Amino acid sequence: MRPIVRLLSAVLMLVATLTLSAAATAKPPLVLAAASLQESLNAAADAWAARHHERPILSFAASSALARQIDAGAPADLFISADEPWMDDVQKNGFVAPGTRVSFLANTLVLVAPAASTAKIAIRPGFALAQALGDGRLAMADPESVPAGKYGKASLVSLGVWSSVSGKVVRGDSVRAALAFVERGEAPFGIVYATDALSSKAVRIVGVFPNASHPPITYPIARLAASASREAEAFRLFLISAQGRAIFRHFGFLPHRPQAL
Amino acid sequence: MFLSADEWQIVDLSLKVSGCAVVFTLPPAFALAYLLARGRFPGKILLDALVHLPLVLPPVVTGWLLLIGFGQRGPIGSRLHEWFGLTLIFRWTGAALAAGVMALPLMVRAMRLSIEAVDRRLEGAARTLGASGWRVFWTITVPLALPGVLAGLVLGFARSIGEFGATITFVSNIPGETETLPIAIYAALQVPGSDAIVTRLAVTSVILSLGALVLSEVLSRRAGAGQGGHVL
Repeated sequence: MRPIVRLLSAVLMLVATLTLSAAATAKPPLVLAAASLQESLNAAADAWAARHHERPILSFAASSALARQIDAGAPADLFISADEPWMDDVQKNGFVAPGTRVSFLANTLVLVAPAASTAKIAIRPGFALAQALGDGRLAMADPESVPAGKYGKASLVSLGVWSSVSGKVVRGDSVRAALAFVERGEAPFGIVYATDALSSKAVRIVGVFPNASHPPITYPIARLAASASREAEAFRLFLISAQGRAIFRHFGFLPHRPQAL
Repeated sequence: MFLSADEWQIVDLSLKVSGCAVVFTLPPAFALAYLLARGRFPGKILLDALVHLPLVLPPVVTGWLLLIGFGQRGPIGSRLHEWFGLTLIFRWTGAALAAGVMALPLMVRAMRLSIEAVDRRLEGAARTLGASGWRVFWTITVPLALPGVLAGLVLGFARSIGEFGATITFVSNIPGETETLPIAIYAALQVPGSDAIVTRLAVTSVILSLGALVLSEVLSRRAGAGQGGHVL
């Protein structure tokens, strides 16, 4: 019994020391970002670190999940959403620092298949997606909440094919979960961003969804009201600068004329 | 009751998935429990550890192993499809497989304890009275271990109802097919203004889990009492 008590108190002391020392030094900024930004934002953080700044901590998930966490009071510094409605939600709840919201990136939506697939489909109104799927599933992010899924559903609705494929949809909890199911060949088709398709060697772009078929895909960034980090604000300005956006363009993102909202 | 038709479908699916999971896990779980309780063989510790692995492994690892093993392209999944036309990935049967694997350790534990508690002198007595090995097994061992077996079933059922990590990794979220209670709650959590749905589903979860735990506790108490001498 006694050695256990001694071990426990040692662990407690260790935890206490670590917590205190962590509080003493400033923490690097915490960035909550849409899952589709995984590679590009990491590259931007590397470029930032190369300029002798502390590398920000990046946390990737579906924008919907991140917005929920912010609404619940997550102590983060920056938020980058893959659509405007989730940023609206966070802003409406008073978590966005006034004057810091900028839409700085744009993306396109594509239909992908496993790299080995030879499927050919032209994306046009009423195209035969359901027949092409057969018994297979269409992998996409959750069409009710996750941006990539919402855009995908909007496209399929406006092309008039949603009702014929909605029963075959596998709902990933982020666009990357949907991408992974196509990469493994478990789903014959998937709907992801063009940048996701470019990030993976295991999938092939079958077609591009017309921009008019879904709301514009733009990525707003904002500093959170609770953040007092000056480094976070500097990193935000770097990301939306010409140099910052050049990094994202390298990963296939389209430039979006920064517009303060 | 207070659930909508869609929500009932989710509860219904959860019950179906968990029910199938424990029914199909029961025979291997009992065999493993018997082997671990009575057997003496090299590698017993290793088998014991393997059985318990899903209990301590991150569920997402279990889900990933199922995905690469039982997916359409996996070594087991492709053969099941080829030979029996059986597909597990993206199907409720796959959700049941994931739930069953996660429930196995709890079921084996409960059953093993009750088999170990069976008084072996009673089995010996039955043998001296001329009963065959099988007859002793079915008329002495199984009835005496029954409360523990039932407790294991209920506990496994409760674990299956709550299965999330392995399920979402292996079969993802397909409404009406693999959208069980926890997955529906997780999906609803990401939709603004869905607090009422989340609350209703969460309350249903609590009721189901609590009921199963109480039932399993009652059954294991009964198993403990049976051990106290007034058997037969």
